[in-house]
Amino acid sequence: MTRIRYSLLAFLSIVIIVSMACTQQRQPCLTPKTASLIIGTVHFKTDTSTVTVDTTLPHATFYPLSSQLNYVTVYPPQASFTVSLSPDTNYCQWLFETDSLKHIPDTVSFYYQRSAKFLSNACGFTYFYNIDSVHSTHLIIDSLHILNNSVTNNVNTKHLQIYIHRNF
Amino acid sequence: MSIQNTCRYISIATFSCLMWLLAVPVLAQSDTPAVDSLSTTNLKKHDSAGRQLCLGIDVVRIGANSFYNDRYAYEFQVDYYARNEFYLAAEGGWGGSKVNYDDLKYTTTNSFVQFGFNKSILSRSSKTDWDMMMMGMRAGFANVNRSPVTYTVVDSVWGNTGTQSIGPTSFPVFWLEVTGGMRVEIVRGLFAGWNIRGKFVMNGKSFRDLSPLFIAGYGKGDKNANFDFNLYISYGIRWNRKGPPAKTKS
Repeated sequence: MTRIRYSLLAFLSIVIIVSMACTQQRQPCLTPKTASLIIGTVHFKTDTSTVTVDTTLPHATFYPLSSQLNYVTVYPPQASFTVSLSPDTNYCQWLFETDSLKHIPDTVSFYYQRSAKFLSNACGFTYFYNIDSVHSTHLIIDSLHILNNSVTNNVNTKHLQIYIHRNF
Repeated sequence: MSIQNTCRYISIATFSCLMWLLAVPVLAQSDTPAVDSLSTTNLKKHDSAGRQLCLGIDVVRIGANSFYNDRYAYEFQVDYYARNEFYLAAEGGWGGSKVNYDDLKYTTTNSFVQFGFNKSILSRSSKTDWDMMMMGMRAGFANVNRSPVTYTVVDSVWGNTGTQSIGPTSFPVFWLEVTGGMRVEIVRGLFAGWNIRGKFVMNGKSFRDLSPLFIAGYGKGDKNANFDFNLYISYGIRWNRKGPPAKTKS
């Protein structure tokens, strides 16, 4: 019995040392680090209808205006899009085209409040946002509707609905 | 699955298997008195065993300090044999962490104490047998001091923000833990033994605004529950040992 106990002690010491040697310095970040604003595009079925249908845009393009980086996103055909808000100011603008080939841009302006949020030691800090208002030009966009003011790193919440002119 | 998680699961599985392996001889021992004579059935071994105060140091912590460059801890334990294989136990120590990432920098220091009990589930083979396999509970407290925090929000679209800062603060941490393990007397009075600990924080929400990377005594500050182990080298001081145990008439 005593010999077994001593053997277990020695074996455990080895297991402990091996498990410590496996430990990484910084854990990987497993949650979304950026609070993303999710946009859905819809249009009314007819001019007089109140029923909306999702609008699949052929090659929607989003440009952040006044970004330090040259960043452009061209989406494949779809009706749901993700943009981020500037963490440095309480206001930002995105240039929005329904089709990258047509070059008819609308500007969408976001006004919001920021709050710093600690995610974890692995992910660091990010900003969550509370949207005050959203405005746009109306070349292709008919109107805007805020569905949810709170922009967090929850990727399952739709925040904004863009009503597109029916014959865009 | 990451290498770290794989290692962690292997460690947990190994500990679990070893606990079961150790439980078998204990169960076997507990059956033997039934075959023994009447004179041993009524032995009150705790009376003849006397008292023991055991002081120990966690050598895993000392070893871990050389593995990790972002945290350190020192941990000591003391237990006192009360009676009926029941021990009053306490642990204490200090430690700290240093977070020095590109986007997040701060340091923490803390001291901690925890009080509770151990109950030996290993039957003594004699009054001089102080080997034990035990289970126990603890209540722990730590006071964490955090330095000023500087951070940058990384953003691939708009560019990283300027460096922001948060002032220093101090806050308490309370936790409960369940523990199990074994201790073997290597030479007279000198013990080696390990403990597995499951720790559950009670006031985790109060410091979620920036959970410390590491809290000495508790573990990772951003976890509601931590799994931990210790390997103690300890020395037992004994007194008040009595002569041969009295035999009672049946």
